[in-house]
Amino acid sequence: MEPALIEARGLDIAFGAIPILRGVNLAVPAASVALIVGRNGAGKSTLVRLLAGLSAPTAGEASLFGAPSRTLDSAARRRLSIVTHQSFLYPNLTARENLEFYADLYRVADGRAEIPRWLERVGLTSAAHARVRTFSRGMEQRLTLARAMLTRPEVLLMDEPFAALDADGVGLVADLLCEAVARRCAIVLTAHQPITIDGLEFDLYEIVRGRLRPMHGRAIGASAPRAIGGVGR
Amino acid sequence: MNQRLNLALGALTALLMLGAIYMVFMFVPTEADQGIVQRIFYFHVPCAWVAFAAFGLVAICGIFYLWLGQDIWDDLGYAAAEIGMVFCTLVLVTGSIWAKPIWGTWWTWDSRLTTTLILWLLYGGYLMLRAMADDTPQVARFAAVVGIVAAVDVPVVVVSVRLWRTIHPAVLVTRQGGHGLEDPRMVATLLVALAAFTALFVWLLILRFATLRMRTRIMTLARDLNLAHAAAGDLCCTISTTSSPLTLSSLR
Amino acid sequence: MTGFSVILRKDLRLELRSGESTIALVALSLLILVVLVFALDPVGGVRDAATAAGALWVAMIFAGMIGSTRALLAERDNGCLRALIASPLDRGALYLAKLAAAFIFMAIAEAAAIVLMVLFFNLDFDSRLLRLLPIIGLGALGFSALSTLLAAISGRLRAGDLLLPLLAVPMFVPALIAGVKASGAALTGASFGASAQWLKILIAFDVIFLTSGYLLFEHVIGED
Repeated sequence: MEPALIEARGLDIAFGAIPILRGVNLAVPAASVALIVGRNGAGKSTLVRLLAGLSAPTAGEASLFGAPSRTLDSAARRRLSIVTHQSFLYPNLTARENLEFYADLYRVADGRAEIPRWLERVGLTSAAHARVRTFSRGMEQRLTLARAMLTRPEVLLMDEPFAALDADGVGLVADLLCEAVARRCAIVLTAHQPITIDGLEFDLYEIVRGRLRPMHGRAIGASAPRAIGGVGR
Repeated sequence: MNQRLNLALGALTALLMLGAIYMVFMFVPTEADQGIVQRIFYFHVPCAWVAFAAFGLVAICGIFYLWLGQDIWDDLGYAAAEIGMVFCTLVLVTGSIWAKPIWGTWWTWDSRLTTTLILWLLYGGYLMLRAMADDTPQVARFAAVVGIVAAVDVPVVVVSVRLWRTIHPAVLVTRQGGHGLEDPRMVATLLVALAAFTALFVWLLILRFATLRMRTRIMTLARDLNLAHAAAGDLCCTISTTSSPLTLSSLR
Repeated sequence: MTGFSVILRKDLRLELRSGESTIALVALSLLILVVLVFALDPVGGVRDAATAAGALWVAMIFAGMIGSTRALLAERDNGCLRALIASPLDRGALYLAKLAAAFIFMAIAEAAAIVLMVLFFNLDFDSRLLRLLPIIGLGALGFSALSTLLAAISGRLRAGDLLLPLLAVPMFVPALIAGVKASGAALTGASFGASAQWLKILIAFDVIFLTSGYLLFEHVIGED
């Protein structure tokens, strides 16, 4: 059994007097993906923030790389990437400049040299010198993905990465996820409903009434050509 | 708070206050230069001592809160700031009352009064921050940081204002007093007054602190109650506590 | 490249691109000085160094408050501040970078203000102005240190822009007193020795607030 890179033990969080999550336990080892499903307001984004150490739980502990998320040191934070609804991009910088900024910030070895390759990967080469302010939502999403993957993370936390993406975009995310898993990344994804991706195994969970429960029917891909399907409920 | 403690502190404060009042009005001799008005000095100085000490307490609570993360330090710091503000206001008011008959103006820019004014403004800023809290969860940390930085600032304020005033003694008269009490009865009266006001401060502080602790406990209880409801499968019934009294709302 | 320089370079690049903060701050300094001339009505013809020094520092405080708010505001869009917190960036480095940005904004506004001050208060463009520069520099540094820390707090609150002056101005009083006195002395041609005590206070203020800000910033910049 691999040691878990992402862990939650007995996580509780409440906003004031209203509990959001209760007793959440989770362990995600390297090279595996946990897909967490829940309705709006169920606490998915909150859980991602807790795992990232951006929020403090009212009880329990979230940890990454075996250390508490809340007090991660600089070296550990270098190995973490987060993707949320917010793009983390500077509107008045160009696509290239944004990526350069993050490459420098995360001290990625040869980071700057790889930027053209990443831009091509996410299909933004022609927009490399355009300011992010002029981007469409979809373009922003793609650039955010490049930003997240550029830093070669070992832990990836993604809050609803499939939302507001077209079929190509979803395919891109799927490809990037497969690559990340191949690189032995530990990944947590959230979504509204379960998703299947060929070639990728998820550990499915759902948040119901603040509790995290494994969801039955683990999604395993078929050997058909690359196809993404949403399993209806 | 413990009824016994409350009673004991109240009684002690009352006793010391009565003693101080007696000494100020009956016992201590009238000061030669300033006359009867000078007696306000025995209230003015202890208030100032309390105001500054309370501010130090706010900062210390801030440090402990940031270090240990326990709510109790946040509540104590807040209580100290509120009570300290009251005493600081009293210093300024008594200072005014003292200044008017002696020097004919309601306000003098002498070094001590000026420093107290700045302290009053710092208190005000801290309390404004608290008032703007709404439901921001980090307010306790913000207040702790502001308390610490303001307290660190006070010594620099004292030094700079003192230098400011010594270079410009001219127009506005500097207030004597605070030192050079010749008569031992004056010293005794001052000490008793100091003790009385310190006791008053401690009593009020503990009262206010107890109230704030209760509020924190209610919040925790409400949350536990909600958790119990939720565990029983009934997440729809929630008790919410914001700044208003408890309200029970049922949603289906 | 250190985290500090990455952030600072990014902020300078952004500011160079839009220039809105700097232009607004220079304009604000101009307006404040004009208002003060009308309000104080310095005796025409006589070189009124003391009043001029005071006006300069008033302009500095207002420019400083806006400058530091803007420096942190740059991270509001798209949640970039959250990205910085989650990144390997050292909190202290972030503080220093934002402080440096605020300082640069203030310095530019102050340079404009000094020119205007000389014009409006009938002073001379001579070597006395040079002696003014380090004093203004120390003041701007201290104010940047103070207001960067406080702006991180006020930026998170509902009516935070009201709170910032309420907190910053009383705390800045010692530096304000020392700075105005030293500036006035410099403008009348006095040597630094005469203002030694004031300079010591300014330096002490800067050291205290830089240290406190650096140590406490991590507590105000985090999330919940």
